[in-house]
Amino acid sequence: MEIPRVGYNDQNSIAGIPSVTDPEATYAGITRQDYVDYVRNYRPYEEQLLDKAQNDTSLIDAAREDSAAAPEVMRQSAARSVSRFGANLTPAQLQQQERGLQRQNTLGGIQAISDARIAQRENNQALMSDLINIGQGVNRSSLSQLGSEAANANARGQAYDSAKAQSKAQTYSTIGTLGSAAIMAAFLI
Amino acid sequence: MGSKPKKSDYQASEAEKTSAGVAKAERDYFKQKYDPLLQNMRDQSFSDDNRRQLRSRANADTMQALTKGTTFADTQATERAGLAANALTGQMGIAEKSAGKIKNTMQTGVLGTARGQAADAQSGMAQASRLATSDALNRAKNNNLVRGAKMKAIGKIAKAGMSAYGEKFGADEEGLGGSKSGKFFQKFTSAIDDAQRRGA
Repeated sequence: MEIPRVGYNDQNSIAGIPSVTDPEATYAGITRQDYVDYVRNYRPYEEQLLDKAQNDTSLIDAAREDSAAAPEVMRQSAARSVSRFGANLTPAQLQQQERGLQRQNTLGGIQAISDARIAQRENNQALMSDLINIGQGVNRSSLSQLGSEAANANARGQAYDSAKAQSKAQTYSTIGTLGSAAIMAAFLI
Repeated sequence: MGSKPKKSDYQASEAEKTSAGVAKAERDYFKQKYDPLLQNMRDQSFSDDNRRQLRSRANADTMQALTKGTTFADTQATERAGLAANALTGQMGIAEKSAGKIKNTMQTGVLGTARGQAADAQSGMAQASRLATSDALNRAKNNNLVRGAKMKAIGKIAKAGMSAYGEKFGADEEGLGGSKSGKFFQKFTSAIDDAQRRGA
């Protein structure tokens, strides 16, 4: 959403400096546009991060995939090493190697996933605490803004009440002066 | 009595207009140059480039460490492949964790900056509304002043009218002659003077 341009004129500019006819309206327009930009460009991003901080399991998923893929990588690496020496493993050795890979895969997989769970929790908590810090800042500035608006509204209300009272007092004073003068004049005749 | 205030006397000076113009130009420049950069960083923060790089590095480091200087005896050690697979999984886990941290830092950095801009916008809005409030208060004060002055003027005009009537149709210096209403207004205006003196 594009906020209409109010209070300035880009066309009527000298050396690229826009002519600002109404700084107050320009200020209000810019700040409104900034908020609209934030909502459009960063609100979904923020929500995505909040969701990620609570539900991300990417480290655990990667650990599962890696622990499943690693034995094959190492099986091929071992085969390359053996062939580099022009040797062969006996069927018994191959069987032993396979058993070793399976054992390590099971034990290593459990350990990797367990480590990944801890790392995931740590990362998610760090992300959440960073987001909460940002949120606290937003909350603080919003409350301070609201407090300032409330003070403004209160000042306006008080000024209106006092102006009303002053006006009423002035009217009564004039009426009183005229009335008392009329009564005195009537008695003096 | 002074002349009516001129609106032109209350207009911004050339320096103020230029200051506002420059501020607007700077803000436009910021929006044009830096906003796209931040949006670019936002999009990049979803990229898996860092993760891929760290995983490649972890993979290379592990393979280099475990296969460097391999002897014939090593190739015959059947447990070696299993242990190496375990080590590779562990290194990948560390790479994943580091990549996750980098990503989170980048993402919270982008969000913090964007939120900072929005907070600036909010405080700007509060400032704008403060300006509007003081404007409203000044307007109310001015209206009040004008209302009071009108009331005084009405009183003065009425008094002047009555006084003139009293002088024309009232009693002479010895208190003789004059119409009844003329005498009334004569007394009435002097009573107003008395009342005002007492009030003062």
